[in-house]
Amino acid sequence: MARPNFFEHLHPPTIPAREARFTYTFGLGGMSLFLFLSLIVTGVLLMFVYVPTAVSAADSIRTITYVAPFGWLLRNLHYWAAVLLLLTSAFHLLRVVFSGSYKPPRRFNWLLGLALLLLSLLLSFSGYVLRWDVDTFGALTVGTNIVRQFPLLGGWFYGLLVGGPDISVVTVVRFYTWHTLGLSVPVLLLMGWHAFRVRRDGGISHQSLVVSPQSPARPPRISRRELVQREGVAMLALLSVLFALSLFFNAPLAAPVDPLAGPSAASTDIAAPWFFLWIQALLRRLPPLWAGILIPLGVTAVLALLPWTLDRKTEGTAVWFHPAGRWAQVVVIALTIGIIALTLLELWR
Amino acid sequence: MNGYQKGTAVLGLLLLLIVVGAVVRQSRQPAVVQLVPALTGRPELCLTCHQGIEEISPAHPTDTFGCVLCHGGDGLALDKELAHAGMRGGRNPSDLAAVEESCGGSTCHSGAAEDGRDHIHRVLTSVQATYAGAIAQVNFAFGGQADAAAQFGIMAVEDSDITTATGAAALAPFRPGPDAPGPVQTFANECLTCHVSAEAINQPYFYRATGCAACHVVYENDGLYRGDDPTTPKDVPGYGRTHQLTTAIPYTQCNHCHNRGNYSLRQMAFLERDDLPGPSHLSAQEQREIDYYQPIAQFTLCEWELDCVDCHTNGEVMGNGDIHAGQKDIQYIQCRTCHGTLTEMPQLVTIEDPEHPAIYSSELNPNYSVQVGDTVIATTQGETFGWVKWDGERLLETGKVDGRLYEVPLVMGSACKQQPDQQESAYCHECHAYERAVNP
Repeated sequence: MARPNFFEHLHPPTIPAREARFTYTFGLGGMSLFLFLSLIVTGVLLMFVYVPTAVSAADSIRTITYVAPFGWLLRNLHYWAAVLLLLTSAFHLLRVVFSGSYKPPRRFNWLLGLALLLLSLLLSFSGYVLRWDVDTFGALTVGTNIVRQFPLLGGWFYGLLVGGPDISVVTVVRFYTWHTLGLSVPVLLLMGWHAFRVRRDGGISHQSLVVSPQSPARPPRISRRELVQREGVAMLALLSVLFALSLFFNAPLAAPVDPLAGPSAASTDIAAPWFFLWIQALLRRLPPLWAGILIPLGVTAVLALLPWTLDRKTEGTAVWFHPAGRWAQVVVIALTIGIIALTLLELWR
Repeated sequence: MNGYQKGTAVLGLLLLLIVVGAVVRQSRQPAVVQLVPALTGRPELCLTCHQGIEEISPAHPTDTFGCVLCHGGDGLALDKELAHAGMRGGRNPSDLAAVEESCGGSTCHSGAAEDGRDHIHRVLTSVQATYAGAIAQVNFAFGGQADAAAQFGIMAVEDSDITTATGAAALAPFRPGPDAPGPVQTFANECLTCHVSAEAINQPYFYRATGCAACHVVYENDGLYRGDDPTTPKDVPGYGRTHQLTTAIPYTQCNHCHNRGNYSLRQMAFLERDDLPGPSHLSAQEQREIDYYQPIAQFTLCEWELDCVDCHTNGEVMGNGDIHAGQKDIQYIQCRTCHGTLTEMPQLVTIEDPEHPAIYSSELNPNYSVQVGDTVIATTQGETFGWVKWDGERLLETGKVDGRLYEVPLVMGSACKQQPDQQESAYCHECHAYERAVNP
C-alpha cells in the first residue's frame, strides 16, 4: 500500500464510518475551510488591482469588473465564495447543535467555531464596504454609527474603526487593512486551531463506544484515503457550484460615491449587506443601542454559553436531535427563525 | 473505475465545461475603449459602447470634455443600467431641471453677463421658458388676474439685475387652485406644452428635446436618428438627427414648436395644422414655402427663403437676462435692421477687437466666418450680424444654416414709398407680401 500523501496525513489514520458519512457532517466544515482558502487566493489576486483610496476605490473595482481580463470572474468568485462561506458556516453551526456535537469535551472548540463565524461576518462586512459605492457607503455610515452607540467606549471604538472623528479618506484604508490582514490572518490561525481541537478532542464527534465482552464488535471505520477521496469529490462539486454562480450571476455593484457630495450621496434604500439585514430590520423598530449592540451581543452570548447553560450533559453526542439537548435545539431554532424572518421582512419591505 | 473516480471524472468534466463558459464570456466582453478627458483626467469607458457617436460640438471637443462632465453617470461601468444611473436629465443633460449641474458653472454657461456666459440665466428668464405672456393674457382674459401684467411663469424665476424698462423682478409658478376660473384650470392642465422645458408632442413634425437642446440639437421631422452611435435605434422616433449641438439651426427646428398650429381658447385645445406635408409632386423649395408658415400667415420672400436664425438674434431668442411679459418686449429686429430706410443705411460696425463676440459666434457656426476688419450689421441692442457683411459696395448675407450667399437689397435709393415712422414689418408686408406659388 502506498504511503499516505500530504493531504492524507492531515487526517487521522481512520475515522468512524457512521460519522464520516456525508449525511452526518454534510461536509460543511471542510467546505468552509475550502471556501476560505479560495477567498485568500482570489483576494490576493484582487489586491493586485484594487486601490484602497477614497478617490480610486470605486474606479479600481470597475477596472476589475470591466477592464481586467477575467477580472469579473475573479470578483464574482470572491463574492460568491464569501456568500457560500457564511452559509456553510451557519449550517455548520446548526449541524453541530442539532447533532449534539458541542457537548464536552468539545465546548472550547464550539467557542472557536463561533468566533470564526463572527470574524467571517466582520470580514464580509469590511469587504462589502471596500466596494465604496452608494450602497456600501450607506452600510458603512449605519454600521459605524452603531459602534458609536456602545456604552462609554463607543466614541473611541468609532474613531479606531473609521480612523478619525468622522468617516473620511482614511476610512477606506482602515477597512482595507482590517479586511486583508487584521481579520483574515486571525481567521486563518483560528481555523488551524479549530481543526487541531477536533483531533485533540477525540476526533470528529461520534457516539461513545460501548464495548463489552458480550459485544466485542467495534463500530466500522473508514481509512483516511477514502476520506480524502470523498473530500476531493466534494471540493470538486463545490468548485463547480462556485464557478457556475460566478459565470452566471454578477457580484452587485452600485453607483460610485460622489466625493464632493460625501455621505449625503449614500443610497437611502436598503443599505445593509444581506447577512445584516436582520439587524437593519431591528434598527427600524428599536433604539440603536438595543438593535445594533445589545441584541446581537445577546444572541452571541446565548450561543457562546449554550454548552454551559442550556445543555451541560454529555449524553446524546453525535445523535440527531437527542432529547438531552432539547432546550439548546429549541433556542437555536428560535434564533434562526427570528433572524430569517427579520431578513425577509427587510427584504420585502 | 470506482465510485470516487467516476465522481471525480464527471465533476471534473462539469468544471471544465464551466471554465470553458467563462473563457467564452471573457472573449465576448467588448474591447474596452478608454477616454481620459483633459478637463477631468478621469478615465471614461463610454465609447466602448457608443463608439462612433458624433462629437457634440467643436466647442466641446470630446478629448477635452469627455462624456461624464456633462452627462453624469458612471463612466467606468460597462453595464448599461449602472453606467447610466445618475445621468443628468436622462438622455438630455441640458433639460432645464438638470442644466445648471450639467452646463452651468461660472466658467461655462452660468457665468457673468459681461463675459457672455449667462446663457442659463437668460434662458430661464426668457419667454421661451416662462411662457409668461401667454399665461398672463389667458389668466386675465378669463378672470384669473386683475390685469394682463406678467405675474406667473412655468417655473418660479427671479431676476436681481434688471437692465431693461420692461424687466420684471420675479414670476411665481403658475399653479391655479381649485377656486380659479374653469377655463384657467383647463388652460393650465392642457395648454402649457409650449415652452422649452415641456416634453414635445410625440409625433412627426413635433419631435424635439427640452432645455438648450430644444433648439441646439436638430431633430428631423420624423424624429429619427441618423448618426453613427451604434446603440441609438435608427427606427424609433424621438431622437435628434445626430448627437450634435449647433448654431446653424434650420427653420424646421424652430417649427417643431412654431407655425405648427394654433391654440383655440374657445376649445382650450391645440389645433394642429392639417396641410402638411404638401402634395408630393412639389419641389423642395415649394414644400419649404408651404411648410414655413401657416396658410394664414403673411410674409415676404426673405422670410421663408432665409432661416429664422438669419434674422432673429441670440438676444431675441434666448432672452436678454430680464423677465419679460411677452415676445413683443424682446423682439426688436425689423426689416430696416438689414435693409435700412430711404434716408439711412443699415447700422454697420467694423470689427477691431479679436475677442469680439461676432468672431467667437462665427467660430461656432460652420457656414460663415468673421475676421478683424470685417464690417458687419450692428443692431440697436448692440448685437452684430456677423453673417451680413458690407464689402464696400454691397451688403452680402451668408445663410447661417446653408451658407448660401444673398445680396441684401437696400431701401436707400429704391422706389420704396415707406413713411419714416412706419418701419415695422407689417407696413413692409403691405407691398412686399409674398403670395404662395402653390396653395394646397
